[in-house]
Amino acid sequence: MSYSSRTGAQALVESLERAGVETLFGYPGGNVVDIFGFLRNSKMKFVLGRHEQGCVHMADGYARASGKPGVVLVTSGPGATNAITGLATANVDSVPLVLVSGQVPLSQIGTDAFQEADMTGICRAVTKHSFLLKSADEIPQAVAEAFYIATRGKPGAVVIDLPHDVQLQKTSAQYPERISLRAYHPDTAPKPRAVAELARLINSSNRPIFYAGGGVISSGAADDLRALSSKADIPIVTTLMGLGVIEKTSTHALGMAGMYGTEAANIALAEADLIIALGTRFSDRMTTTLKTKGKIVHVDCDPSSIEKNVSVNLGIVADIKDLITTVSSRIKPNSHTSWMKRISQLKRSSKNKVRKFKTSKIHPGAVVEAVAEAASDDAIIVTDVGQHQMFAARYYPTPKPRRFLSPGGMGTMGFAIPAAIGAALSMPNEKVVALIGDGGAQMTFNELKVASDEKLPITFIVFNNSSLGMIERMGEDSFVGNFSNPDFVMMAKALGLKAKRVSLVEELKSAVTNAVKSSHPSLLEVIVDADAKI
Amino acid sequence: MPMQKSERIYRLNCFVENKPGVLARIVGLISGRGYNIQTLNVGPTEDGTVSRMKIDVLGTEKVVNQIILQLRNCVNVIEVTRRRR
Ligand SMILES: Cc1ncc(C[n+]2csc(CCOP(=O)(O)OP(=O)(O)O)c2C)c(N)n1
Repeated sequence: MSYSSRTGAQALVESLERAGVETLFGYPGGNVVDIFGFLRNSKMKFVLGRHEQGCVHMADGYARASGKPGVVLVTSGPGATNAITGLATANVDSVPLVLVSGQVPLSQIGTDAFQEADMTGICRAVTKHSFLLKSADEIPQAVAEAFYIATRGKPGAVVIDLPHDVQLQKTSAQYPERISLRAYHPDTAPKPRAVAELARLINSSNRPIFYAGGGVISSGAADDLRALSSKADIPIVTTLMGLGVIEKTSTHALGMAGMYGTEAANIALAEADLIIALGTRFSDRMTTTLKTKGKIVHVDCDPSSIEKNVSVNLGIVADIKDLITTVSSRIKPNSHTSWMKRISQLKRSSKNKVRKFKTSKIHPGAVVEAVAEAASDDAIIVTDVGQHQMFAARYYPTPKPRRFLSPGGMGTMGFAIPAAIGAALSMPNEKVVALIGDGGAQMTFNELKVASDEKLPITFIVFNNSSLGMIERMGEDSFVGNFSNPDFVMMAKALGLKAKRVSLVEELKSAVTNAVKSSHPSLLEVIVDADAKI
Repeated sequence: MPMQKSERIYRLNCFVENKPGVLARIVGLISGRGYNIQTLNVGPTEDGTVSRMKIDVLGTEKVVNQIILQLRNCVNVIEVTRRRR
C-alpha cells in the first residue's frame, strides 16, 4: 500500500486504528476538525462527550473496566485544559490512557494565538509522558510509542499534542512493527534472589498478611493471589484500589484497610508479623492508620514507590503477576490456625461488619447492600467521591477485579457518571451501576445525555443527603456556602433517562432492584439519612 | 530553606535524550516536589543525540534517592548517577 498521499490527520486516525483502538472519546474544535473529518468512516467508534473532563473520565472508566487503554481526542486551548483533571485522575491511579490534543499551527506557537495553550507544559506534572509533534512524519511512531509508554511498567496517561499544520502535512511514514525506546526499559522481571528471600520470609512467618493494592488488579494477578492465599492460609486486606481482589465474604478477606477501612483490617495489619504489600504506593489514606511491628515486604513495578512513604525490610521491583506466579511454587502449603482464628474473631467483633440497617430514614449503607443484592457478581460498580464512596467501599462485597471503579488517588468528584459510561461501552454485556453523591452528580450531570444517546442501560444512583457530606461532616460547622439540589428526577428525564425518587425505607429494595434490572439508562434518586456516619 | 543536619548537596549526573522538553521535564520533576536546584549545567556529549546534565540538589539522602528513582522513571532519561559534594 502506498501512503504517500495521506495527511497527518489521516495518518493519526490510521495509527490509532493500528494501535487497536476500538472506541475513541472526544470533543471537536477548530484545531482538530481535519482529524474529525476522517472519523466518520473510521472503524473506530467515536463517542462525543459533553465536556472534555467527561471525555477523559469516560476513557478512564473504559480502561479500568477492560484493561485496554482509554483514548481521547480534544481540541487545543480550552479543550486541552478541560482535559487536565481527567488526565491527573487516570495518571495517579496508573490507568493507561492516550490523549491527542490539537494545537495551533507551529508558526503560531508561542504567539498567544487564539486557543493556544502550552499543553505539554501544562500536563507535565499529571502525565507519564507527552509529545509535541513537529512533523507529520513523526505521527505513526509517536502513536505507537504513546501506547507503549501508557501500558508498560507502571501504566499512566500520555499526551500527544498535534499542531494543526502538522495534521495537514503529507506523510508516507508507516506505523512501526516494533517499538524500542532508547531510554525507557522498565525491568519488572522478578529477580531470583528477591523471590527466594520473599519465600523464606513467608514460609517462616506466623502471622503473615497480604496487603493488596490496585497493582494486583492491573497486572491481572488477583486469581493468583487468592490461590496463594488459600494454599498458604494467609489473609488479605486491600486498599481502595485493591477492592475486587477478593470477595469480602471469603474466609481470608478482611476488607479494606486505612482511614475508612474496617477495624478488623487495621488491627490485623497491626498484629501481623509480616506484611506483604503488593502493587500499592502506601498512600497517606492508608499509612495514617498503619501501625505495625512486623516486617514489611513491598512489591511494586515502580522502583520509586518503594521506600517513598514507608520504610520496608524488603523491597522488590517486579510485575505483581510475574512475582506471585514465580514465588507460589516456593511457598509450602500451610495452615496458620491460631492466626486465622484471630482473623475470624476480628471479623466477627468488628464494628464495621455488614449489618442490618434499622433507621427510619434510608441509610446509605443499605442502598449499597440493596445494589449488591440486585446486581450480579459481574456488575461494574463505579463510585464518585465522598461519603457515599466510602459506604460503597465498606459495604459492597466487591466479588471481582475490575468491577469496583473508584478515583482513589485524585478523589475527583464528577468521575462516576462519565466513567460509568466508558465502562459500559467497554463491557457491553455487563451491568454498570454508578453510585454518586448529590454534589458530584452536579459536576458532570451533563454527561448523562451521552448515556441516553448511546442507549447504555446504566443505572445511576444519586445519594441525596442535601449536603456535601464528606466535607460538611469534617467539622462541627464547616462552611460550604449555599449548597442545594435541583430536582434530579426532572433533570434526568429532560436528558432522556427513566428516573425515579425513593425516600421510604420499605420501598428502597424494590426501587433499587427495578433500577438495576432496567434495560434503559435510568436514574434513581435516593433520599438518604444525612446523619449516617461512615 | 535552612539547611537541615542530614541535608547535603548531591551532584546528579544525568544522561538524557537530546529532545525538546526534556530539560523542562527534569527540572519540573525536581522543583515540583519542592526541592531546590542549586546549580544546573547542560551540555552536549560526543553523541549528538544525548545531552549531559549536572544537577546539584540539596536534600537528605532519602530524598535524593527518591529524586533519582523518579528521574529514572522519566521516559527520556538514559542514566542517572549521584555523588556527594
Ligand atoms: C473536584 C473536587 N472538588 C472538591 C472535592 C472535595 N470534596 C471531597 S468530598 C466532597 C463532598 C462530596 O459531596 P457529595 O458529592 O454530595 O457526596 P457525599 O459526601 O455527600 O456522599 C468534596 C467537596 C473533591 N473531592 N473533588
